[in-house]
Amino acid sequence: MNLNHIVYISRAVRPLTDQDLHELLEQCRRDNSKNHITGILFYSHGNIAQLFEGEPEITEALFKRIKRDGRHSHVQKLIDKPIDVRSFPDWHMAFHPLESVGFSQLQGFLMPDRVPAPPSTLTIADAMLIELVRLAVFGTPTEQAFPALPGPTSV
Amino acid sequence: MREQHLHALLHHLPAGVATLQGLDLRYGYLNKAMQELLGTDVAEGQCVADHPGVLPSDLVDVLHQVYRTGTPYIAKACSLPLPTQEGKESVSRCYDLVLEPVRDEENQDITGLVLFAVDVTQQEEARQRAHTLSMETRRLDARLRVLTETVPQITFSLDAEGLYEYVSPQWYYFTGQPPTADLNAIWPLLIHPDDRLRVLYQGDAARKAGKGWSYEYRLRRHDGQYRWMLSRALPELHAPDQPVFWHGALTEVHDQRELSDALRRGEAELRFLADSIPELIWTATAEGFIDYYNHYTGEYSGLTKEELGPTGWVNLLEPRKQAEAARHWVKSVATGEPFEGLFRMRRHDGQYRWHIIRARQLADERGPRWFGACTDVDDQHRLREVLQVQYDELARTNRDLDTFVYTASHDLKQPLFNLRGLFEELRRSASFDDPEEEQLLSMVDDSLHQLDSTLQELAATVQDQRGLSAPVEKLDLRHITDEVLLGLRAQIQASDATVHVEVTEAPTLLYGRANLRSVLHNLLSNALKFAHPERLPVITLRSYLSKNNKPVLMVQDNGLGMNIPKTSTAAFQPFTRQHPQIGGSGVGLYLVQRILTSRGGRLEVASTMGESTTFTLYWFEA
Ligand SMILES: Cc1cc2nc3c(=O)[nH]c(=O)nc-3n(C[C@H](O)[C@H](O)[C@H](O)COP(=O)(O)O)c2cc1C
Repeated sequence: MNLNHIVYISRAVRPLTDQDLHELLEQCRRDNSKNHITGILFYSHGNIAQLFEGEPEITEALFKRIKRDGRHSHVQKLIDKPIDVRSFPDWHMAFHPLESVGFSQLQGFLMPDRVPAPPSTLTIADAMLIELVRLAVFGTPTEQAFPALPGPTSV
Repeated sequence: MREQHLHALLHHLPAGVATLQGLDLRYGYLNKAMQELLGTDVAEGQCVADHPGVLPSDLVDVLHQVYRTGTPYIAKACSLPLPTQEGKESVSRCYDLVLEPVRDEENQDITGLVLFAVDVTQQEEARQRAHTLSMETRRLDARLRVLTETVPQITFSLDAEGLYEYVSPQWYYFTGQPPTADLNAIWPLLIHPDDRLRVLYQGDAARKAGKGWSYEYRLRRHDGQYRWMLSRALPELHAPDQPVFWHGALTEVHDQRELSDALRRGEAELRFLADSIPELIWTATAEGFIDYYNHYTGEYSGLTKEELGPTGWVNLLEPRKQAEAARHWVKSVATGEPFEGLFRMRRHDGQYRWHIIRARQLADERGPRWFGACTDVDDQHRLREVLQVQYDELARTNRDLDTFVYTASHDLKQPLFNLRGLFEELRRSASFDDPEEEQLLSMVDDSLHQLDSTLQELAATVQDQRGLSAPVEKLDLRHITDEVLLGLRAQIQASDATVHVEVTEAPTLLYGRANLRSVLHNLLSNALKFAHPERLPVITLRSYLSKNNKPVLMVQDNGLGMNIPKTSTAAFQPFTRQHPQIGGSGVGLYLVQRILTSRGGRLEVASTMGESTTFTLYWFEA
């Protein structure tokens, strides 16, 4: 099966409320599982970044729809290329809700500090892209950036 | 019938009508509206003066005056309080009061007055509103005028034909034209000839299309200089699609325009420069995504900008170095610290070449950006590697030579000693008849002496060459240790040894530089050499003060350990090899001891076989 992945960053037109994020989460989870789209979305203070993977026709159509979405602007595609295997088993969305109660149990939701390190199935260039994107959205990373990448090779 | 009709009409007239009769002006007829106006205590036959109702007293005076003079009078917009009705607040309404004298039909004598009261409250209110409105308009107008005449821009209005209706005084200051100048004739002439046709065309086109405009052109200033101006105008529509006026402003943008021209030029030139340099040059956004690779990057890598992508540069590095470089770059982006590293980068033909990759963040008003360059240092790097190998070889050879001389001189000392003993024995026991044979004995004796001194000189020469007898100086222990460790780094890396250096208690030492280096080199290389095969070597080097406040150095390892003979000095005799399976001579420890004793110190050793060895060097305590 052919697979593609796309990474983009964008800016929310106005800050998304918990309600907005909840709705987006529900809709994406439903539609993405229908379309066999997997990946992850980061949101913080109006900064948005997303990676999604799936069949090329589907990812292309989805990106077109997302780019047109009036909730955000300055959509900048960083990468769009074929991949051998999926790196994400399902679809997740990571953000800091104002009211964390209710979100923690929500399927598909992740606290930003719970976002797993870039999976090792990604090339290092793509893993670095994800780390940079995460940095751009959430700011300075936690201590353990790149735990999935092999440690420094001792000489 | 007709009179009755008229009467009814009069009675219900919306204006008040009353007649006043006789010199004392008694109420005659009062229609309904007038009765309501004047109030209930006014009735036919009463004198106005006694029962004026709501009429003000000065009006009553006027009534008398009209009666006397026969001149009609109109009191405009008189405010009269309406008779209070129970529960309601009294309100005033406005009336035009008309006083007409009534004359006798025959001899024209005045017999009374007619009083009309027309309610003009609404008109009056409307008039008041109109008045405040016009005051407000006048105020706004004045404000607008002040504003248009004080803003730095030139403001203007054009009519539908494109003729100037108004231009603010700034235009006259700017152009230096007299106030009498014919705007429509002069203005086009002041536009730079290169811009004139374009401006006239663009203005006409916008007016024909009923749209606003925004364009730039050069306008001649009073001093003859042409300055870039931005002209913007919007139509004033009176009906949809029917503009009547265009209002706009002219802003001087000369400096901005020059600056952005210079910037554009500068940027293009820099890009050209970057594309001409045979180095990999790139820029990245604040988020760390590469957004520009110079031409040479494509040439070197054989990849397009799209193939490289925002993070694809890392693919050019050796696979086992990629993660480290990626981590390093993310850290730099997070902290803004410069990125620098030595990496091998793959060329289009698959060959890897050493590069120094450097990137620095530029933060200006346009926000942070990264500028990077990869410099090919492959040739230098190879040369350095070759030189290093040669240097290491030379150093080793040198050491070996020293050792050899030592070995030789000491190896020969014992047999020489034996020889001398045998010879003395021979001299004592043997007797010679031939005096020439006697002579032979003394020649052998001389030769033995000579051999002895040659050997000593040889040893002394090595000692001198290595600077072992150089004058003392104040030495930084940490510094010298680092130098020595640098010399041993190959062995340290090979054995993955850890070396702890703790010298804070006694950080300096007054000693011969070469001596100290030699001592440290021997002890540390021994510790590395005699490491235990089953664990990574850990060496601790500690400098501290003895009870007598004299500096002491302790060097401890976790290696094989050694057997310490009863007379502890024996271990330090040359060639006493503790571990025959390990290469190297016993000269090292012997040297250390000699250096120490020659400078009035001593060496102590404690060891547990298979566990560790600790050397304690008392520099100045024998
Ligand atoms: C930041 C952002 C991320 C989105 N991600 C997804 C997504 O992963 N999957 C999805 O189906 N829709 C996603 N959407 C929603 C789509 O833009 C779009 O609203 C949705 O697919 C419905 O499209 P339609 O109304 O044209 O059918 C996202 C919208 C935004 C603003």
